[in-house]
Amino acid sequence: MTARSLFIPITLLLVIAFLIGPFLIIVAASFSAGETLAFPPQGFSLRWIAKVFTVESFRASFGMSLFLAIGGTAAALVLGIPASYALSRYKLPGAEIVRTIVSAPIIVPGIIVGLALLRYIVVPFQVGITLALFLAHTALVLPYAVRVVSASLDNLRSDIEEAAVLLGSSRLGAFFRVVMPNIRGGIMSAFILGFVTSFNQVPVSLFLSGPGVRTLPVDMIAYMEIVFDPSVAALSSLLAFLSIGIVFIAERFLGFSRYV
Amino acid sequence: MFQNRAEALALALPAAIFAAAVFLVPVVILLSDGFRAPTGGWTISAYTDFFSNSLNQTVFLRTLRLSALVTVASAVIGYAAAFAIVSLEPGAKGKVTGLVVLPLMISPVARTYAWIVILGRTGIVNQAFQALGITEAPLRILFSETAIFIGLLQLFLPLMIISLISALENMPKDAIPAARVLGANWFQVFWKVVLPLTKEGLVIGGTLVFTGSLTAYITPAILGGSKVLMLETLLYQQVAVSNNFVAASVIAFILIVMSFAANILLKRVATARNKQRSQA
Repeated sequence: MTARSLFIPITLLLVIAFLIGPFLIIVAASFSAGETLAFPPQGFSLRWIAKVFTVESFRASFGMSLFLAIGGTAAALVLGIPASYALSRYKLPGAEIVRTIVSAPIIVPGIIVGLALLRYIVVPFQVGITLALFLAHTALVLPYAVRVVSASLDNLRSDIEEAAVLLGSSRLGAFFRVVMPNIRGGIMSAFILGFVTSFNQVPVSLFLSGPGVRTLPVDMIAYMEIVFDPSVAALSSLLAFLSIGIVFIAERFLGFSRYV
Repeated sequence: MFQNRAEALALALPAAIFAAAVFLVPVVILLSDGFRAPTGGWTISAYTDFFSNSLNQTVFLRTLRLSALVTVASAVIGYAAAFAIVSLEPGAKGKVTGLVVLPLMISPVARTYAWIVILGRTGIVNQAFQALGITEAPLRILFSETAIFIGLLQLFLPLMIISLISALENMPKDAIPAARVLGANWFQVFWKVVLPLTKEGLVIGGTLVFTGSLTAYITPAILGGSKVLMLETLLYQQVAVSNNFVAASVIAFILIVMSFAANILLKRVATARNKQRSQA
């Protein structure tokens, strides 16, 4: 073996160990029977996995995160699909301005978006925390929705719907009967990307929390600062397998990676 | 192309108005707070105050230094990893790329939390060091710049590797053999051939890693603790602990200016590349 032929496997092994190793350690630690977070795990048990489901704050914040991820992404798509259609098919006055405004939340750090929303929307207009979180997560997902849906609209030839309109369909009818079925994969991919982004998002939700209202990752950070048991490891593993599963299924059935 | 302007506006305006109301206007007001004088009018005294405080200077420089170090380290490791990956058989290449992308699907909280198990007082690193007799007492690795550096590198390295893989794949296949035949050593091949041909990929990956590190909250919050702050965790403390909204606005402005600068650079490189392509 020459030095060069060893270079490839050793480099790959080290890089993958660095990227994946910590995750495997977390999974192993979550099966520990011991009281504190440790690796190698002390014994084997499912107690910490079971405990995750009994912690009241985790259940509440999981529900909140799920609601925000599904509701926020759906709202972002309801706003984003028409906007993408206008950007892709119409001579829109000020198209660049519209594009910049809807995709700006991606460039500005989430913690700033959350703070601005708290000070200038929540406090002056007496908006509830849940609604504020919903607005924040919708704004956060909107850039992804517009980007992914625009990309799949740009890949679809526009003369198909023009033909439908010439043949007597209304513009709206042509959209729902001709365009929508053809960009379904893109919309589903935008939904999954938005869901994962929203679900894992921390900074935007930091300042937007009230009594009993928190997102799951923010709750996990708060919990791990107080309790040093393996339940956060167990929860992390469960969430990781959940999101890997979702993305794997999406890749399998939609060719997810074509869109993102 | 449809020409109906009213229809176009009706489709696009809800999204634009929503983003402006929920995001743009509040953020602009927040940023303007740092320039407002208490007596009315405008001033930059909040900025001079901010930078005259030595803790703030330390945090500002630390954020820049760590982001730059993480970017450089990810470029060095990224080139080695991307080289190794593109030289694999097509089947293996897809699988290994999948393993590199996989961590991006996992919650950053979970990924960062893992380092507590590894770097903590009774963590794997300290166990190994003590077993090997390298150190007597456990080292304090957690809650330090080293811990933040490791956490950020692990978080953002995949973005650099992916950018470099596509850059290397777009490189002409015979560029490296040609340089070798003409007598270049490996160092010259990298410096004179590979680097210029993959510059765009490096800039794209570098911008993603740099702005990601600059604006990371989770990693410094978990691995830096309340003592080793970066700009984002300092911003959080200023609001949550000190109620100092002016300082928060100053930090927000600094963060936004730096991320915008990095993104403009990215756009420049992207348009330069498109021009090159359309000329080719």
